[in-house]
Amino acid sequence: MKVTRRDLLLWGTGAAAGLVLTPVPWKLLGDVSIWSQNWPWIPQPTHAPVEVKRSSCTLCPKGCPMRVRLAAGWPVGVAGVPSHPLSRGALCPLGFGAHQLNWHPQRLRTVLHGEKSSSWNEARIAFAKALREGPIAIVDGYPGRAASLVFDSFAQKQGGSYHVVPSPEIRALAPYQALGGVPAVDLGYDLENARTVLSFGAPLLDGWGIPGRFNHLWAERAAGAADPQLRLIQVEDSLSRTAARAWQWAPIRAGAEAALATAMARVLLEEGRVSARVPIPALTLAEAEQQTGLSTDAIRGLARTIVARPPVVAIATDDNPSIAALNVALGAVGTRGGIVRRGKKAKSYPGIDTIGSVRAVLIDSTVPWDFTPSANAEVFRFAAWNGASSRAGGADWLLPAPGFLEELTDVPTPPTSAVETYAVAPSLVKATPEVQSAAQLLCGTDTDLATVEKTIHARCEDLFQARAGTLYGDATMPVAQVVSVEKLEEQLRSGAAWIGEDVSSERLRCELKNWPTAVDSPSSRQETTWGGPALPPLASKLYQESNLREASEWRKA
Amino acid sequence: MSARYGMVIDLDRCTGCGACMVACAAENNVPPLPQATPRTGLTPLLVRKVSNGMEGGAQREVFIPIMCMHCEHETPCVSVCPQQAVEVDKATGIVMQMPQRCLGCRYCMTACPYHARYFNWWDPQWPAGMEKSLNPGVAVRMRGVVEKCNLCHARLHAAEEKAAASGRREIDPADYIPACVEACPTAAIRFGNLADGKDPASHEAHSPDAFRLLARLGTEPKIYYKSKEAWVKALAEPGSGPAWEDQHG
Repeated sequence: MKVTRRDLLLWGTGAAAGLVLTPVPWKLLGDVSIWSQNWPWIPQPTHAPVEVKRSSCTLCPKGCPMRVRLAAGWPVGVAGVPSHPLSRGALCPLGFGAHQLNWHPQRLRTVLHGEKSSSWNEARIAFAKALREGPIAIVDGYPGRAASLVFDSFAQKQGGSYHVVPSPEIRALAPYQALGGVPAVDLGYDLENARTVLSFGAPLLDGWGIPGRFNHLWAERAAGAADPQLRLIQVEDSLSRTAARAWQWAPIRAGAEAALATAMARVLLEEGRVSARVPIPALTLAEAEQQTGLSTDAIRGLARTIVARPPVVAIATDDNPSIAALNVALGAVGTRGGIVRRGKKAKSYPGIDTIGSVRAVLIDSTVPWDFTPSANAEVFRFAAWNGASSRAGGADWLLPAPGFLEELTDVPTPPTSAVETYAVAPSLVKATPEVQSAAQLLCGTDTDLATVEKTIHARCEDLFQARAGTLYGDATMPVAQVVSVEKLEEQLRSGAAWIGEDVSSERLRCELKNWPTAVDSPSSRQETTWGGPALPPLASKLYQESNLREASEWRKA
Repeated sequence: MSARYGMVIDLDRCTGCGACMVACAAENNVPPLPQATPRTGLTPLLVRKVSNGMEGGAQREVFIPIMCMHCEHETPCVSVCPQQAVEVDKATGIVMQMPQRCLGCRYCMTACPYHARYFNWWDPQWPAGMEKSLNPGVAVRMRGVVEKCNLCHARLHAAEEKAAASGRREIDPADYIPACVEACPTAAIRFGNLADGKDPASHEAHSPDAFRLLARLGTEPKIYYKSKEAWVKALAEPGSGPAWEDQHG
């Protein structure tokens, strides 16, 4: 039989048509799709059983408790702890991507001397030399930790000084130290009992304080209600996220917060709507109108509104003395629903503006990157991530610090809390040998210092001896029922949180002799108080792929 | 009895923090895509900011989380897919996307009235070492396919496995909570079985303040929104309220 060209074409066409009617091409197509998911360069998740452990976020002083999912010893997911009475299960957006930070492209893993790579040995030699040659200053961005005690003790022994960079929330409480003599670190806001909150630009719904605390209060008592139980009034020059969701937004000119606070106090005092014995401010309403952009009627209306539903508290973003004076006039200091004293233990430390002439400055990894010491000193800066524009960020020595959950640390009371709290953030990830914390360096230099671990143990002993407060772990238990200090420490190291008792009933005496000048106040615009040292890569969803946030916000934070 | 999973999102409670977006991306192994733009990004859950268009103190904004609406009836993406890569799961009501079948023709993206589908333009990449932080319960997806919210289906699988291991046929609702619901700091997103009249989400879906986007299309979406403000409710239908900003422009 002779096979012609025509037969071949017919056979080929028939075979092709027949093939289409079989599942073969479709199966192949599907398989190709599956195979193409498995190219060697496509990363694959680690397949291992997942376990959940509790810890606390240590990226900023808010210390939100978190549940961390781990697979093969690596964190693969983060969530909040709903049973925690303050955070109520909330984390900030950066917290949800925090488990990826240890592999961030900006992660530091090498000691840098100037712009050149160096070694820990050389850094230690240089630090020891600096110690011999003169006093040093140690700067801490997250005071109150066990590591902070190491810094303070070391500075005292070496004849140096210890300084703190307070968070914006603590800075806002600083004026009350002058008015009432209580350190800002011992003060908090009794938001749970407030019925009107007057915010002067504070991002109350955007990471301020303990993010979950006010968010939950607002959601339960205010969101969407025409006449809410909790009135949130936002005074701000532009429509922030907090202003957008506030019960009332008062748009004023940037930097005119002090003038508005003073003018409102004048209205309240003149109309006898507050009982505090304070002098009437000199600022007239006409002057305030000019400065704030709000009409005198609007200022009067706002003043009457804030006292219509007491207790009321005013919240600032910085150490604005006029807003503090308004709180004194409102009787909001040392009273239920206002600014309360949460403890009597905290020690007040000098700020960075008091750093004098020193041989060297050691900067902890918790200090924000925008801080650069003005003193002409050798700078040893610790950082887990390089947030600077240049390679070494202006430091003489840039030293790689442990990253997210790579070291044992403790979590003291977060700013704005009305009660004292304490938690331990256990190290859930094995740190790489090339990183070391500032406390480890100092304890290695002076072996007589109490280490972070020993200090945490001592603090657990103190809590146990006091027999006060409640432990929030897998179960809720009063400390008085914990049988031993070892059990207490074990629970805290497993991620439980200690919440102290409410001591806010103590009335504070604040005296206002003269009204602060209400002009030329700095702009208190504050987009958010997220304080992470580096943006997790997934933040690209917020900053690049949506219209939710402007990229410039991150740098302002 | 089959479930009909859905959500009721209280827009009066949403502060636009974006925690849901980050939690969603982390849960579903969505790569960071530093090269992405609003037009090319991969955001199975996208929170959009919409203004009431007023000036001065009367100006207000609302934040609207947009994801796959899991349309129940005449699901547009299902009817146009030439590959049968999309289907409505009869047991759960979840609109499932099967990347293995997807050809990347993007017809479904055109058909979706909510613009809730995203084309995966790039190979999934993370900075070196970061693959250790990937969720082991979810596969990474290849480039060239369309992605969308699947209501954290991996969590449903895990809940079903847990139920089976303990001899139960039905899952414990507490075991199946999507990542965005878990992450919301104001509990604005309520998730549940809308077919179960006792489920709080079902109850809220029937609230007078509840509405659905583009309800007039008749696709019966299972994502409900809720607000007491009239101008926010008016956003449900284009032309009847303030204009949405162009997210992808």
